[in-house]
Amino acid sequence: MAVTIFVIVLLLYVVIGGILTRFVKNSDDFYVMGGKGSTLLIVGTLAATYLSATTLLGIAGQSYAEGPLVIAALGSFGAWLGTLLAVIYVGRKMKALGCKTMPDYFEKRFNNKWVSVVATLIMIVGLIGYGVTQFIGAGLVLSEMTNINFELLVVLFTIALIVFTAFGGMYGVVVTDTIMFFTMLAISVVIAPMIIGQAGFDQMKSLSETIPGYWTIAGAENRPLGWSISQFLVWILFFTCIPALVSRVFPAKNDFVILKTAIIGVFFAPFMQLIVFIAAGGMQVLDPNITPTDNAMVVGFMEYTPPAVAGIGLAALMASIMSTASTLFVLVGFALSRDVYEKIFEKDLDEKQRLSTARIGQVVVAVIICIISIFQPSAIYWISIYAGSIFAVGWLPTIVASFEWKRMNSKAALVSMIMGVATFILFGELIRVGVITVPEGVDELMIAICFSVGSLIVAALLTKPNSYELQYYSKMKQTSMAKQTINEFLKKPNGLAEIKKQYKQIIVTAVVVTLISVGIWGYFFIQLGLG
Amino acid sequence: MNIEVLILFINATLVTVLSSVVVIAILRKQYLPAIRKAEQEEQNKERYNSNDDQENLN
Repeated sequence: MAVTIFVIVLLLYVVIGGILTRFVKNSDDFYVMGGKGSTLLIVGTLAATYLSATTLLGIAGQSYAEGPLVIAALGSFGAWLGTLLAVIYVGRKMKALGCKTMPDYFEKRFNNKWVSVVATLIMIVGLIGYGVTQFIGAGLVLSEMTNINFELLVVLFTIALIVFTAFGGMYGVVVTDTIMFFTMLAISVVIAPMIIGQAGFDQMKSLSETIPGYWTIAGAENRPLGWSISQFLVWILFFTCIPALVSRVFPAKNDFVILKTAIIGVFFAPFMQLIVFIAAGGMQVLDPNITPTDNAMVVGFMEYTPPAVAGIGLAALMASIMSTASTLFVLVGFALSRDVYEKIFEKDLDEKQRLSTARIGQVVVAVIICIISIFQPSAIYWISIYAGSIFAVGWLPTIVASFEWKRMNSKAALVSMIMGVATFILFGELIRVGVITVPEGVDELMIAICFSVGSLIVAALLTKPNSYELQYYSKMKQTSMAKQTINEFLKKPNGLAEIKKQYKQIIVTAVVVTLISVGIWGYFFIQLGLG
Repeated sequence: MNIEVLILFINATLVTVLSSVVVIAILRKQYLPAIRKAEQEEQNKERYNSNDDQENLN
């Protein structure tokens, strides 16, 4: 039953992905769905991308074993704040500047081929390394649960990915993401509460008697506070500039959609994660001997919910893999076709060729991912150690400085990006092989961030921005999503009335979502924190 | 009362409160002045039109 539901849902995604192909008429539709993304679609794709298989497997497993507060109290908090910054600070600014991909921004801001090459390389390596290992890990769990051969599962996923991305482009990804978001929501709204209900809040609270430290931030393994603070910093820096989240803003219809997404989408980040982590705690009551612990939630919905619900659970796990993978890989395809082929190789393409190139880029990426996933070369695991945080050390200092500092220039950007990535890998390896030791709570990411920021400041002070960079900086300071949206609305009949309506709608949304948030988390605090 | 559990749920609530506050601040700073300016322009236009009508009647 569960496997049948799983297969039906996968087929449904493919059919919907195929239907969406008809909406893609030009490269604009392909890259940013023609800028027609509604609040529902942008919130859906943001939330679906946010909830990856890592949440449902790895971090849920850690919550099961060590306690739900270990990662969630500070590490996840950093990720939630990072998501807010990705939408409202980085994504909104880049969207206002007309960027269709993140490397677009580096090209517009610096107009320097080497900056674009390094930025694009960081993106391709980062997204493939981060995405493929998640894809493999979650695929193995799913294969075990469904008894579908892993290689066959990877091929099926690749076909589905090609349908979403090569045919539907951003349309395919955003719409299927939104449908997957509702499937995933079933875990937080139906499955996790069922598990928590069976475990019981009192029994969950009393876990701290049998497992000391279970309901503390240090957790059962008594992790030092420095480690938790380090997790907070790592996730906030990583999420602020990861293309998978920032680029969700680019298809948005207007600024009102972005502002609503900042409220609703950011609310869904803790909502989709935290309830899963609490349910993982519930699984410790129901079945304390699950190994590996990564399977805690999967065992939860397979063993402790009715078969139909378990099928939805499996479909949701698949959705968490597919939505994150489709977003990561569609962006790599965009980087290949638009940023590398069109821009770096300076190919002058007409609209039809541009669309074909974009589609070929997606097929190439899907095939590469399929081959890497099946053969699992050891290099991919090495890359994945650094890929997850490469954007924080490679991109973030350059992005923030280029937004805010007039002196920022291409030389400083190059030095900072290369220094950040190089020191990150160098110190990571030195720490791993034991050549150097660092104090508790300090890791290679923090060291690399210091090098990246330090080298950026020194290089920017020693060099000067050229006239293009100065001009673009002034242009950038005068460009804003608010101005563009106001001008766009005022051109319409009743434009002012429409702006006022949207203004009120957003205020009401902010108040309602805040009240819902207080209600939900207040309820859980009363149940788990009092008495 | 478990303070660490309180921290967890305060953080979860805080992120929504923060996003709402930031968005409302953006609305007030970037949209409200533009709305007031557009309203003023509309009023001026209406006043100008009604003056024109009155002059035509006279």
